[in-house]
Amino acid sequence: MILAFFRNLSRDLVRQPLRTILTLSGVTWGTFAVILLLAFGTGIGKQQMKQFRGLGQSIILVFPGQTTMTYNGLPKGRPVQVTPDELRRVKERVPGVRTLSPEFISSRNIRYGREQLLNTVRGVDVPFESIRNTIPGHGRFINDIDVQERRRNCFLGATIAKNLFKGLDPVGQRVMIEGVPFTVVGVMIEKDQNSNYNGQRDTHCAFIPWTTYMTLYGEKYVQNFIVQPSDPALSKQTIAALRNYLGERLGFNAQDKDALFVWDFSDFERQFNVFFTAFNIFLGIIGSFTLLVGGVGVASIMMVVVEERVREIGIKLAVGAKRRDILWQFFAEANCIILIGGAMGFFLAALLLALLPVEKLQEYIGIPKLNPLVGIVTVLILVAIGTLSGLTPARRAAATDPIVALRK
Amino acid sequence: MIEFRNISKVYKMGEVEFVALKGVFIAVQKGGFISIMGPSGSGKSTLMNIIGCLDTPTEGSYYLDGENVSGLTFDQLSTIRNRKVGFVFQNFNLLPYASAYENIELPMLFNGKKNTERKRRVNELLEMVGLLPWARHRPTEMSGGQQQRVAIARALAMDPPIILADEPTGNLDSKSGHEIMDIFSRLWKEGRTILMVTHDPAIAAFSQSTIRLLDGAVQENGAAH
Ligand SMILES: Nc1ncnc2c1ncn2[C@@H]1O[C@H](COP(=O)(O)OP(=O)(O)OP(=O)(O)O)[C@@H](O)[C@H]1O
Ligand SMILES: [Mg+2]
Repeated sequence: MILAFFRNLSRDLVRQPLRTILTLSGVTWGTFAVILLLAFGTGIGKQQMKQFRGLGQSIILVFPGQTTMTYNGLPKGRPVQVTPDELRRVKERVPGVRTLSPEFISSRNIRYGREQLLNTVRGVDVPFESIRNTIPGHGRFINDIDVQERRRNCFLGATIAKNLFKGLDPVGQRVMIEGVPFTVVGVMIEKDQNSNYNGQRDTHCAFIPWTTYMTLYGEKYVQNFIVQPSDPALSKQTIAALRNYLGERLGFNAQDKDALFVWDFSDFERQFNVFFTAFNIFLGIIGSFTLLVGGVGVASIMMVVVEERVREIGIKLAVGAKRRDILWQFFAEANCIILIGGAMGFFLAALLLALLPVEKLQEYIGIPKLNPLVGIVTVLILVAIGTLSGLTPARRAAATDPIVALRK
Repeated sequence: MIEFRNISKVYKMGEVEFVALKGVFIAVQKGGFISIMGPSGSGKSTLMNIIGCLDTPTEGSYYLDGENVSGLTFDQLSTIRNRKVGFVFQNFNLLPYASAYENIELPMLFNGKKNTERKRRVNELLEMVGLLPWARHRPTEMSGGQQQRVAIARALAMDPPIILADEPTGNLDSKSGHEIMDIFSRLWKEGRTILMVTHDPAIAAFSQSTIRLLDGAVQENGAAH
């Protein structure tokens, strides 16, 4: 019986192709648009976030500056100077600091054979790797022994490695930095990074142990340091504790924002997330309205269809159809059309995404992603629309007077 | 088994009322073959529709097999239409996009009959009306006579005891018309009750007796042939 019902249904749909296609197209288009919109939305959001995290995940950047307030009789205008030793104590004593790394930065001459470049050299500590996501694609990052023994080992960004070695394997090779030989211990993976500070982007940098840096270039104070908070949600408290601690140690007012300039990325990331969630909700709403318009299209075409099909309804009633048989028939037809249209739209969107040359566009829009959640929500919306847009025509169809219908 | 007691039917069109049937008393016994005649607009189709439970009277009571069906709901009447009567119309009223097979099957779809049972019955009926090779064809591909035979097969799908035919030969040439009447005669001999509207005395001659209507009233009942 149920089988017969569906056989009947498919016959009614298939044998009147023009009508079916007309109705289908609205829903297909609506679903297609929604799926694509949200897929691109997710892709763009993910890509932006990835590029953003090129700098590191939930990090706090601290730049020592100059005092602009007096402190315990000390005048303003004094430079705040932070040594790596001081930072070791910060790590031990300031609550909320998971780990940190000092950073020395300067532009240096780097040479391999005949190739000679002027690039940023960063003197850093071991935790730098995890804080800033300088993941080795080959070899390793600076390690504890390198730092303890002030080894002349270096870790290269992908671009610098490519430009110096032209495809040769750099790991184990010797490069000259300001005429001093360094052994390459690793090369970083390619990474996207859309924000930066002091010096070039990571792919253009050479990283060396901070101890080596201090010895070779006679530097005593860090340019800046980076902190990874234990809990990014509590970054504000961590920063306050940091200001208090260093203020007391180095002699500046904890309220003096210029003594320590702090760039809190976890805060940024939160705002960024909020923005993209809002963006996706916006896209979702637009999409839902598109679907709704498709649904209204189905409803109005079904209304016309009911007009056209009064005779069919009359015949069915005459041979014993109950009102609810007719109601179900039209209701099921509307839903079938909407679900088939939705499936087609989904399929077309998936096809387009599969055929799109995403690699070329990836840097700008990321990889558009068919989000399963979007799929489920779309199906739910479609079912809701199917119910609403099927019910009115179906009720009208079921209310047909067989006498009037058969006289036509 | 079909009994009208003072049946009236009034159609309301806005303010205007039109009396299509007024105070009709009729009784048709099981196994009868009755023809209904009368000028156009005299209420023949209205009478048939009420007998077939497709329409309901405004006044009076209608007893079918001893049951007063006047007070039944639409869906209860649907069940009666499905089991007890088979309609045959002047303009065939077949589903244009469905095959002969599917048209004949239609009444059984509203009754929960099993697939195998439906198949057997449809083929049996196709054979009976001589259209087995036409099973997959649509009405538009068939002659009027063939279409009417499909319609008769459909009317018989649920094996109803009553056949109601409203000018079944009205759109057919006389040869096809006589073929249709041969089928009706056979059905009658099998024991079915047949009521048939016609304008043609030659067609009415197939029946046992005639009811004549004029302006919604019975003018003559039981003129035997
Ligand atoms: N649904 C309706 N609404 C209004 N008037 C109707 C309706 N059905 C029938 N009538 C009117 O009732 C009268 C009787 O109609 P009916 O169809 O029963 O006549 P008939 O005898 O079958 O005529 P014909 O030979 O032309 O088929 C006609 O005047 C018709 O206009
Ligand atoms: Mg008539």
